[in-house]
This record gives sequence, C-alpha cells and structure tokens, in this order.
Amino acid sequence: MNLRRMENTPKLTFHLAGLPITFDVTVMIGTTVTCVAVFLIAWLATRRRALVPSGIQNVVEMLVEFTRGLVRSNLDAKTSEKFYSFAFTLFFYLLIANQLGLMFNIVTESDHVSAAWWKSPTADINGPLAMAFVITIVAHFLGIRKSPKKYGAHYFQPFWWMFPLHLIDEIAKPLTHGMRLWANIFAGEVLVFVLLKAAWVGIPLNVIWIGYSVFVGIIQAYVFTILAMVYMSQKLSTDH
Amino acid sequence: MDLGVIAGAILMACAAIGGGIGNGLVFVRYLEGIARQPELRGLLFGQTFIGIALVEALPIIAVAFGIMKLLGIL
Repeated sequence: MNLRRMENTPKLTFHLAGLPITFDVTVMIGTTVTCVAVFLIAWLATRRRALVPSGIQNVVEMLVEFTRGLVRSNLDAKTSEKFYSFAFTLFFYLLIANQLGLMFNIVTESDHVSAAWWKSPTADINGPLAMAFVITIVAHFLGIRKSPKKYGAHYFQPFWWMFPLHLIDEIAKPLTHGMRLWANIFAGEVLVFVLLKAAWVGIPLNVIWIGYSVFVGIIQAYVFTILAMVYMSQKLSTDH
Repeated sequence: MDLGVIAGAILMACAAIGGGIGNGLVFVRYLEGIARQPELRGLLFGQTFIGIALVEALPIIAVAFGIMKLLGIL
C-alpha cells in the first residue's frame, strides 16, 4: 500500500444548477465524529454538576477558564462576553479534530480503487480554510457594523498609497490562518504513515513522532483560536 | 523520474532550511531570556511555542505542498 492510496478519499459529487459540488465523505465522517465527541464530553461534564468539580467536569472547566483568558487578553471586558462560548467551541472542536487522524486509518479496496475512510477533518485543506474565511467575514462584518467610517478609513492609514498593502494583508490573513492548521496536521499524518513503512525500525521513531503530533495538534488549536480572536479585535478595537 | 518529484524535494529542503533558521532564532531568544530571568521560564515557554507555531507556518505549508508534489496530487 502506498501513500497516494491513503490520500485517495471517497467523494460525492452533485450538480446544482450546472455547477459541480463535491463533498469529501471522509471529512464528513471525521467532522461528524468530532461533533459527537464534543457534544458527548460537554454533556458528560455538565450532567452532574458539583460545586467542587471533579473528574471530567474539572477538565472541561479548566478549558473554559483557559479560553476565557484567551478572549479577555484580546478584547475589552464588555465585548469579550459575547465571544466566550465561540472561542471555547472552536478550541474544543479543533482539540479533538486534530488528534483524530493519529489513531488509525481504515482503507478499503475494490476494483483496484482504494479509499481511506478515516482522517482528521483538519487534514483536508477545505475545512480549515472554510473556518478561516467564515471568521474573517464575521470580523469584517463586526467592524463595519461598529463604525463604517472608521472601517473604511483604516484602509488608508497612515498614508493613502498604503491601500494595496492593506488589501494584500486582508487576503493573506485568512489564507495563512487556514493553511497553517491544515499543513501542520497533514504533514503530521503523512510522516506517521512514512514511518509505518520503515517496519520495526520505525516503531520508536513513530512513538516519538505521534507524541510530538499530539503536542502540535494542541498548539495549533490554541494558535488558531488566539488568531481568530486577534483578527476580530483588530476590527473591533477603538484605538486603531 | 519526473521533474515533479525533484521539484517537491527541493521545495521541502528549502522549507526545512528556512524553518530551521527561524526556529533557531526564536529558541535562542528564549534561552537568553531564561538565562537573564530564570523566574520567567514558565511564561516564556508558552510564548516561545506560540512564536514557533507562527514561524513554522510558511515552512510547513511549503512542506505540505512538497508532499503533494511528491505524491503527484498537485
């Protein structure tokens, strides 16, 4: 089995008004599994709430506190209240999604066409890029709603001829935001597979690499969430 | 061997060089920081890994495209 087969995922293609729309089945499975896991953990954590938290409630409360601190470090006290649940959901989803592809892989083969049925939803470029673009659109919308004049003027500061630079900046932000997450998780999964091909020599290396990949997944979830908050605060800050 | 494989290999090598230099610069500052103020070790550790994650972005994107080039997907 070679690497190219592992990256071959089943696709569903529809034609909507003449436009082909393709869904990646593997990513859909991964997203569903992650959503179910997130809901399940959140439900278990809030099922029997105690004043003195223990077990799973303790862990989830730590994550909530952590993401709250993250939002508070970027936005002022009044606006940050609206973003607490968003930041927590984003961070928790990514935290689980990034680890999904490290566990195992299911590959089926029929008529010399193989299909991989399991991978991180963030190891496909479309997922992270879509998330990054949605965050950017929301940030721009919030900026325009707060003060259209200030939002427009921001593009011509400090000098009017800096407009092209601002435009490039606004396009590059969501691109690097999404691709940073995708590339980290994708490269991690591919290297796990490459090390698996090295037979018994690869076992200790794989243990080290999977440990590092778990670490990278956590760091990337954190970086994605904090950058989402930074981009929103750039559009919302009054002293800008 | 087709040229796409060589292109992907060169892409990944260049990304490794750039990423190595960038990460080295970030880590040197971290070590200097804890040498000056050892009590800030915990705070700097977190900040350093955010910095490394940000520095790593473009090299790792280049590596991902290099892998796709090697596989012939791109």
